[in-house]
Amino acid sequence: MNIRALDLGGPHTFSHRFAEGAITVVLGRNNAGKTRLARAVAGLDPSPPGTVFINDADVSTVNARRRRVGLVYQAFVNYPNWSVFDNVASPLKAAGKGRKGNGAEIARTVQALADRLRIGDLLDRLPGALSGGQQQRVAIARALAQQGEVLVMDEPLVNLDYKLREELGLQLREIVRADGLTVLYLTSDPKDAFTLGDEVLLLQDRAKLQSGTPLDVYNAPVSPEAADLMSDPGVNRLDQQTIVRPEHLRLVPQADGDAVFAADVSSVETSGAETFLHCRVGDANWVARLPGMADVEAGTRVRLYVGKEDLIRFDT
Amino acid sequence: MSAPNGKAHWSLYLYCGFLLVPLYWLVSMAGKPNRDILGGLELVPSNPTLANFAEIVTNPAWYGAFINSLTYVCLNAALSIAVALPAAYAFSRYRFLGDKQLFFWLLTNRMAPPAVFLLPFFQLYSAVGLFDTPLAVALAHCLFTVPLAVWILEGFVSAVPKELDEMAAIDGHSFAFFFFRIFIPVIRGGIGVTLFFCFMFSWVELLIARTLTASEAKPIVVAMTRTVSASGLDWGVLAAAGVLTILPGLAVVWFVRRHLVKGFAMGRV
Repeated sequence: MNIRALDLGGPHTFSHRFAEGAITVVLGRNNAGKTRLARAVAGLDPSPPGTVFINDADVSTVNARRRRVGLVYQAFVNYPNWSVFDNVASPLKAAGKGRKGNGAEIARTVQALADRLRIGDLLDRLPGALSGGQQQRVAIARALAQQGEVLVMDEPLVNLDYKLREELGLQLREIVRADGLTVLYLTSDPKDAFTLGDEVLLLQDRAKLQSGTPLDVYNAPVSPEAADLMSDPGVNRLDQQTIVRPEHLRLVPQADGDAVFAADVSSVETSGAETFLHCRVGDANWVARLPGMADVEAGTRVRLYVGKEDLIRFDT
Repeated sequence: MSAPNGKAHWSLYLYCGFLLVPLYWLVSMAGKPNRDILGGLELVPSNPTLANFAEIVTNPAWYGAFINSLTYVCLNAALSIAVALPAAYAFSRYRFLGDKQLFFWLLTNRMAPPAVFLLPFFQLYSAVGLFDTPLAVALAHCLFTVPLAVWILEGFVSAVPKELDEMAAIDGHSFAFFFFRIFIPVIRGGIGVTLFFCFMFSWVELLIARTLTASEAKPIVVAMTRTVSASGLDWGVLAAAGVLTILPGLAVVWFVRRHLVKGFAMGRV
């Protein structure tokens, strides 16, 4: 899929060639233009400025009804008065209208999709009787039932509680990869880029910032902003051109050339496996991500070490 | 809602009892012969009879009036929903020039007293030959029920996320399929509440119904005001007609009772 000169509402138009049959994680904060991109790809906004090509065919003038781009919303959108079966069968029935004798075929496809999403035994329930995770699985199954080339997922896991998010997040890759779809996965969580993405596309201020494989983008960010988007917690800024990643900060020196920063610890946050030190270094708020439990208390002053090679400089 | 203590509980019953006194009196009158009604204060009918009701179901002047009323009430409800539902959808989903003003203007229609419109309706309907038909009353009542219906339905339509519309489009369904097969079933509760309010207005409205009808389409509320005969008022039959007039309202409330609470909670009714 190829997008040319799409107006996301930023100062410049957006162009990008999405890898066919791969998952592209579109990473950006709120208002970065993610949803606008999703709606343009799905064909929901009438005549958006810009061109969308799917398989080298210009679909800009094809409306959402015929474009066959699957879309999964952040909220769990299902037809509340239809059973799970009817929900998943909806695109199949719409596509096969007027054709007789395809009921059995639809039933088989729906069952296969439902089994893949592990909702196979819920087919006669109403969406309202399901948990949030199951409702989103129904929505994903219906989007896959489009049997189109492109699937857009707009922060599909955000409204799920933590455990369900982890569970579905881990399964999502194999679920959507099975059909060889070109997937746009919109998120603000950099972790999704690594767990799901074949490629990552960074959006900022309604414009493309950087794209590439997740590791390439992580290792070679084009700007402090790009590094910040791919980092959770965000990167620490030393000055305009230099950043330090939270995971590169240490409490103990390792080499002679280590840079040293004096930091006033304002709070300590630990999960047992990791400890985050929130502190002030000079005028900036920094976060250090340390393995295990750190023996540091809030209100104290510590020295943070970082290897010279881990100070990331950008030429401006 | 739970009663905080026993006292509140009893006061509630007392209040309900107080409200039900006239209703009870009506029912008890309907079950008595005229001389007992005029005879004196009687808490329980001493000669209970169904003769009054029998008079109504056998006399065409009475049951005809009931049929007339039900005809224009149903016509009105159907017309109101048919017009108000697309309007409510448009007000909720689209932005167009003057949409907010138009929406408010609809409400202002209800601020005028019905009597204001009597003369134009009477003259207009006489001119086009609609006078003394159920359709005339139904159309006239639409002037009041359509704005109300648009307001109530708009609340229900807006409660349905726009994503549902988009979802149906992405799935490849036509707009008509979406509207009739998906959307209307989803807001059927709201339609029920709206029907209730249209019904309530049209069923009890007297002034317009009386002015726009003469003999052919005489509604029940009018028939009830015209029972004075040479032998005086027929109290028992009148009371029986009153009881029968309450029944359809009761039936409608029963059917929409669950949705009604939701309708009230949504703040439009």
